[in-house]
Amino acid sequence: MPLFRRLLVANRGEIALRVIRTAQELGIETVAIYSEPDRHALHVRRADYAVALGGEAARDSYLDADKVLAAAESLECDALHPGYGFLSENAGFARACAERGIAFVGPPAEAIKSMGDKVEARRIAAEAGVPLVPGLQEDIDAQRLAAAAAEIGYPVMLKAAAGGGGKGIRIVNDEAGLLPALELAQAEARSSFGDDRVYLEKFVTRPRHVEIQLMADQHGGVVYYGERECSVQRRHQKLVEESPCVALTPELRARMGEAACDLARAVDYVGAGTVEFLYSEGEFYFLEMNTRLQVEHPITEVRFDVDLVEEQLRVAAGEHVRPPQTPRGHAIEVRVNAEDPATFFPSLGEVTRLSNPGGAGVRLDSALHVGLEVTPHYDSMLAKLIVHAADRDHAIARCERALREFRIVGVATSMPVALHTLRSEEFRCGDYDTGILERIDRKTPVERHDLIMMAAAAARFLANERAGTAAGFEGKDRRQEPPRWAMLGRVERVGRMPR
Amino acid sequence: MKYHASFDGAEREFEFDRTAAGLVARSGDQAFQLDLSLVGDGSTFSLLVDGKSYDVVAAVDGGKVTLQLLGERFVVEVEDERERAAHAVAGNKAGGKRELKASMPGIVVDIKVAAGDQVVEGQPLVVLEAMKMQNPLCAESDGKVVRVACEQGAAVTAGTLLVELE
Repeated sequence: MPLFRRLLVANRGEIALRVIRTAQELGIETVAIYSEPDRHALHVRRADYAVALGGEAARDSYLDADKVLAAAESLECDALHPGYGFLSENAGFARACAERGIAFVGPPAEAIKSMGDKVEARRIAAEAGVPLVPGLQEDIDAQRLAAAAAEIGYPVMLKAAAGGGGKGIRIVNDEAGLLPALELAQAEARSSFGDDRVYLEKFVTRPRHVEIQLMADQHGGVVYYGERECSVQRRHQKLVEESPCVALTPELRARMGEAACDLARAVDYVGAGTVEFLYSEGEFYFLEMNTRLQVEHPITEVRFDVDLVEEQLRVAAGEHVRPPQTPRGHAIEVRVNAEDPATFFPSLGEVTRLSNPGGAGVRLDSALHVGLEVTPHYDSMLAKLIVHAADRDHAIARCERALREFRIVGVATSMPVALHTLRSEEFRCGDYDTGILERIDRKTPVERHDLIMMAAAAARFLANERAGTAAGFEGKDRRQEPPRWAMLGRVERVGRMPR
Repeated sequence: MKYHASFDGAEREFEFDRTAAGLVARSGDQAFQLDLSLVGDGSTFSLLVDGKSYDVVAAVDGGKVTLQLLGERFVVEVEDERERAAHAVAGNKAGGKRELKASMPGIVVDIKVAAGDQVVEGQPLVVLEAMKMQNPLCAESDGKVVRVACEQGAAVTAGTLLVELE
């Protein structure tokens, strides 16, 4: 008997595919949902069933709880996996699933609610004995904010109360920047989460972002699968993650793991969850708990030889958590985003050509396909490259190798930034923090200049040569309008261009 | 035909000759033996430089060549002799007007200035939302707003004129 009969996958992109894969292996039928621009998406093509939601923007499709629930009911789904983002941390949605007899593959609504409200989450964490960063959480107005910021000391951070995934966070360096940042943070919070409440927090110096993956069952059982280091971030969006974190001692790891499990128990947590900590100089502080599967979960999977989606489905079906295996080796994940690697601006367009990396220890979680149109409606992440090797040095080398193999033509991607990171001395030695991306030297070495310019000149030469040949075939009267290659030949004889 | 390439402050001129022995690239007093072979759709080619192998993806857009090479992405300006001569003639025609254009496709969520406003370098003029991020677009230098060419809530494509300055 499969764990469930039919699972609605309430997401898109690589994570929808990721969930579909495991469900199919477990004999569970899958239902995809899709917006208008996603008609050709891989998750639609790979699922057993697909339901059109209509709409283009996220709020008219994947974020529209009524449409998603109607899809689940119309196909008589007995379970729903929310993935990450979209409705995954929406307590009302989780409750609505439960009310309709659909097993929500995630925590109970109450746990989502208390952890989703960052202010409430901090209060519960404090009660559970989890260390916190100093800050101001309630009754935020301009005056109280300025006073609290002055007392804590700049730099400070403004974060969306309903936030997550790095969205809606602003760093403020001095008092002059405080109010403009408040305005932007509130606007971002409003448009991303429909809730403009923000809170203030001390900005910890040289922090590392370290998080604990846990899994809890409906019988009070909680296990954790070590940690992930996610300090390579730009504007609080993670770019490169690794596991284990080189800064942790076994003793610290155990303390963080136990703290995370205590927090989970405090809210009667069920399912996969991640407790994020800031780590700085031997101390760790609770940041937030993400009540869903994380983007970077695969680096935990490859080290612990576990399928976290399978574990999620098992505990959602009422099974007990299973003790994690002993972790092996080192894993690195690179997020491949559609963005210009120089300006970091979103890069939109059609993927015209694709060449995936392969070989030992390489896993690609991707929704890329030739013909994919990258639109501004959704998140810019296209794929995740995950490598696993016996030790950290080998994992870095393997990741570099796989990145060189991975070719996406049609949109620019963040891969070169990841490559620079992996090559940087700071990353290689392991003593880095969340500011690493700003410090990395991304200049092209001078000795590469000649090769780069020659390759580019050769590309133009070839393009001109081909254009000439094409004109030769297409020209109606070749005697009147000689093909371009013939003209080039003439130029060579005469020695200069005809006017 | 000579090709003038510039990248990251460096410049170099190349000349290509198809000879019986294959393709030769000359630059200054250097010569390289090339084997340039197109793969499939024409955007990918295998380049052998004196036997050293490079897998290259190149998108040629006029004089701008975007390369994917060794896992990185490089934008190189390449002009042929003719274009170079034409540009030399056309040079120095720029006036006193400046334009703020959308650097990416997105939605105009806030307009911070109005016609007639004096602005200083680095001052946010327009806030553009793309992929759930709010991106302030700032003045590149001091000046005066001549015209605001966009409306709040408008969806714009990359390169759309947003604000005219002088």
